Amino acid sequence: MEKTEGRAEGRKANQLRKYACTRNPLGRAHGSARWEQGDTVVVAAVYGPRPGTRKGENPEKASIEVVWKPMTGQSGRQEKEYEMTLKRTLQSICLLTVHPNTTTSVVLQVMSDDGSLLPCAINASCAALAFAGIPLKHLAVAIGCGVLENGDVILDTSKAEEKQLKSFAHLVFPNSSKSVDLKESQQKDGQSERGLITSITHGVMSEEDYFNCIERGLAASSRISDFLRTTLQKHTPDYL
Amino acid sequence: MMDQRWRPTVNEREFIEHALQSDLRVDGRRPFDFRKLKIAFGREDGSAEVELGETRVMGYVTAQLVQPYKDRPNEGTLAIFTEFSPMADPAFEPGRPGEAAIELRRVIDRGLRESRAVDMESLCVVAGKHVWSVRVDLHILDNGGNLIDAANITALAALCTFRRPECTVGGDDGQQVTVHDPEVRDPLPLAIHHLPIAVTFAYFGDGNIMVLDPTYKEEAVMGGRMTATINSNGDVCSIQKAGGEGVMSSVIMQCLRIASVKAADITSKIKTNVDEYTTAKALQKVKRTPVLVAKKNDVPDVTMESNDGALESQTSKTPNDAQDISKGDDDHRIKRISPLTRDRTVKPKQISMFLGGPSNWDPYSKGVSLSSLKKSLSCRLKACYIALFRSWYSYKLNISRTIKDPPAIPNVKRHEDAKSRLSESNPEVESTSNSGIAGESDEAKESVSPKSLKDAVKPKHKRKKKQHGKS
Repeated sequence: MEKTEGRAEGRKANQLRKYACTRNPLGRAHGSARWEQGDTVVVAAVYGPRPGTRKGENPEKASIEVVWKPMTGQSGRQEKEYEMTLKRTLQSICLLTVHPNTTTSVVLQVMSDDGSLLPCAINASCAALAFAGIPLKHLAVAIGCGVLENGDVILDTSKAEEKQLKSFAHLVFPNSSKSVDLKESQQKDGQSERGLITSITHGVMSEEDYFNCIERGLAASSRISDFLRTTLQKHTPDYL
Repeated sequence: MMDQRWRPTVNEREFIEHALQSDLRVDGRRPFDFRKLKIAFGREDGSAEVELGETRVMGYVTAQLVQPYKDRPNEGTLAIFTEFSPMADPAFEPGRPGEAAIELRRVIDRGLRESRAVDMESLCVVAGKHVWSVRVDLHILDNGGNLIDAANITALAALCTFRRPECTVGGDDGQQVTVHDPEVRDPLPLAIHHLPIAVTFAYFGDGNIMVLDPTYKEEAVMGGRMTATINSNGDVCSIQKAGGEGVMSSVIMQCLRIASVKAADITSKIKTNVDEYTTAKALQKVKRTPVLVAKKNDVPDVTMESNDGALESQTSKTPNDAQDISKGDDDHRIKRISPLTRDRTVKPKQISMFLGGPSNWDPYSKGVSLSSLKKSLSCRLKACYIALFRSWYSYKLNISRTIKDPPAIPNVKRHEDAKSRLSESNPEVESTSNSGIAGESDEAKESVSPKSLKDAVKPKHKRKKKQHGKS
């Protein structure tokens, strides 16, 4: 696959794959979401809040438990790393003091993997938490960025691209803010709100490249967060 | 953690049992009706998702070369792994599998492996040294009851669509095995002799009331359960009745008779779905060069491809495209799709999208230049496009083709969409292709169109409408 001429299927550097979100595909789970980014599909299910926390967790706050199920094989170290990353990311977006001494479990199942798996999973679990009604501070929007040899940044890397790239990063941002109350001043939506929640990089990249990634990722995340917003708004029940 | 198993209340239990005495089930089914079955396939070979009512299971098949067992040196191995994912039921804990998970695995294992449904000897590469070991991973996503049946169907569907890489034995000592890349040589399907279908019965009362395909509420209330694995030939592959209410042997025989009827029904469903999928996949393999598909040049900084939105917004080139596309996205994708499988009616459209290029089928977006079209007309690789194009014209010229005509008609609709946007060069194109039709079109059409047009065929009810409209 040529890197300079174009990506597979003629995608441009800044073009994301087509994505879709299905609300509550599962019947038993309290909230669930199926997030598709191109051919990468992840289903996330949320159960909770359940009473009691595990040993070692702070009982004054709610705790989040993440289980990651790969497509095949036993759960190994890679899965443990994903679980840890997800747990920390989701902990930062949930309002943990609303239900102290409870556990919310998020279970993820990889349905198919074509690159950008972790961002897809984070998007899916955030959507599932929202569909389950877990109180959140804001949404988390994740994007995968890759750095080409000539320093160009490509978004939403596929599996083939990730294999060939020297380095790529998975970035998570809070969603773009839109104030509900028009009278609210703009000061509150400052730069600090759009800081990076999580960043996992693979490979070596220069500082410049990394900041480029962040910039591009930020722009892309506002698109995805608009999409999330419309998805959530569409299915708001009538009594709200 | 606490035991989160769903326990029925006394009222629910009595309601279910009472209703069953009048042959009524809580979800409105008759006692021997299966729930709605939907089978969908993933992008990769060997991945399948099955929905049986509320129960959802995903299966994934992989294979690798290993050393065979010492006592069976020329047979491959088949292993089933089931994961009761905590997402399926709050009662499922991650970690070690419970009794139910192990029972499920054993029943499916016995049904598939011991009945020799999959041919093991064809998996042998070098006797005693290298054989293929096939591994089936079944993930329970949603526990709506009757996991055994659903998981069994998933395993069968996944095995039917699985393709293992082709390998050749060579080298100096005839022992070296080279596994060919799927891109280089087409991977091979497994040799499956028959499809053993598991059918589960639940017993209530004194063992005289039985129902087929229990939901999880019925399972919580039932007195006992029996699973019979039967294939469409009527061969009983396995029977599992572990404890529970005692049942008379006449009742068991009746159940087996019912099971064999149901098994035939489900077998045909699986086969239809698998065939649809394999033909669609074969079509995708016909490669296209990007020349015919004109890609838009100016796109805003960050864009998303939408599925159906691309068709509509193809001609507009303003920077507001992204907005339009995202709207298209919304309309087509974010609607509440409760089944995990994609809409059947959307499927043909989606597949036809892939034919042309990344996201759209329409090759006439920018008005393809005459020269490139002429080049393509003479090129065999693009025979499919030509076949479709010609079929439209042949229909127009009323060339009677008995078999090909019905499939040709739905294409008219799509062609008309394309036609409305055709630029001036196309009237010329029409004439060239018409003249070209006479000679070579026949073979090109005969050989290629059955596959391509079949794929483009819209669902039956739409096809009929078209016929009435056009004829």
